[in-house]
Amino acid sequence: MALEFDRSIIGQIFDETAFPPVTKEEILAFTTALGEKNPLYTDEAAAAKGPYGGLVAPPTFVTKLRAQKFTPEHLPKFGKMGFDGGRDLEIHAPVRPGDALKMASTIHDIYEKTGRTGSMYFIVIRNEITNQKGEKVAVIDHRIMQR
Amino acid sequence: MSIVYFEDVEEGDELPGLDFFLSKDQVRQYARTAGMYVPRFTDDEGARAEGLPGMIAPGVMSMGLLARMISDWNAAAQIKRIGTTFRSPVLPDRDIHLRGAVTQKDETDHTAECDIWIENDDGERWVIGTATLALPSKA
Repeated sequence: MALEFDRSIIGQIFDETAFPPVTKEEILAFTTALGEKNPLYTDEAAAAKGPYGGLVAPPTFVTKLRAQKFTPEHLPKFGKMGFDGGRDLEIHAPVRPGDALKMASTIHDIYEKTGRTGSMYFIVIRNEITNQKGEKVAVIDHRIMQR
Repeated sequence: MSIVYFEDVEEGDELPGLDFFLSKDQVRQYARTAGMYVPRFTDDEGARAEGLPGMIAPGVMSMGLLARMISDWNAAAQIKRIGTTFRSPVLPDRDIHLRGAVTQKDETDHTAECDIWIENDDGERWVIGTATLALPSKA
């Protein structure tokens, strides 16, 4: 199957979601669930003396943010089955209690890979997360695999 | 909490790793806090109804645990980038083994590239990935 689809969908923002301010409790619950012991993420007093001057969220905290629409309505279909192919996370700024985060989602890329068992198609959904100061916080790429 | 400096890391070094029993309760706790409280991550029956062998850990939980392994090794390592590929589902109620190794160092910005992965008792790598870490420098 040739990889044919309307390329104009790539790079268009299909969802923008604003989240309520991050709470300290939310950060600590996330930290506990992972068993993190780093005082930067667990101990307000110790974190205040550290490089961020206060408690911050562990690096993968942003992966819990859910866009209202995970994919665009007209996501091309190249196969019968979809799998979670993986996640890439780029971190630009720490998340702190009180931060009001926003997430913009685009289709970043669509490509084909041929392996031993035939062709696989990858759709990369990109989430760009910013904070209330307009700083870029993180970029998450979801690789959805279809075959 | 330990701190490891850029100068003390060599290409080829293995990270200390992290071995522990991943309980179903820990997975449920993660699913609850991450807003992913759905059957495949919370109960065996529900997961089987979706064609899975039993309840599984969310992929992003694996990523979070690998980030924790890095943080346990070096509290001052700053993760600039972390990428994971989910090769097969991570099944709780058993021991898991988190591993890492330094593959490349960059003197210009004091970063280290690492391979990271999660394997089961049989050495099967359920999750594989890479991370770029900014390390503190003595310079």
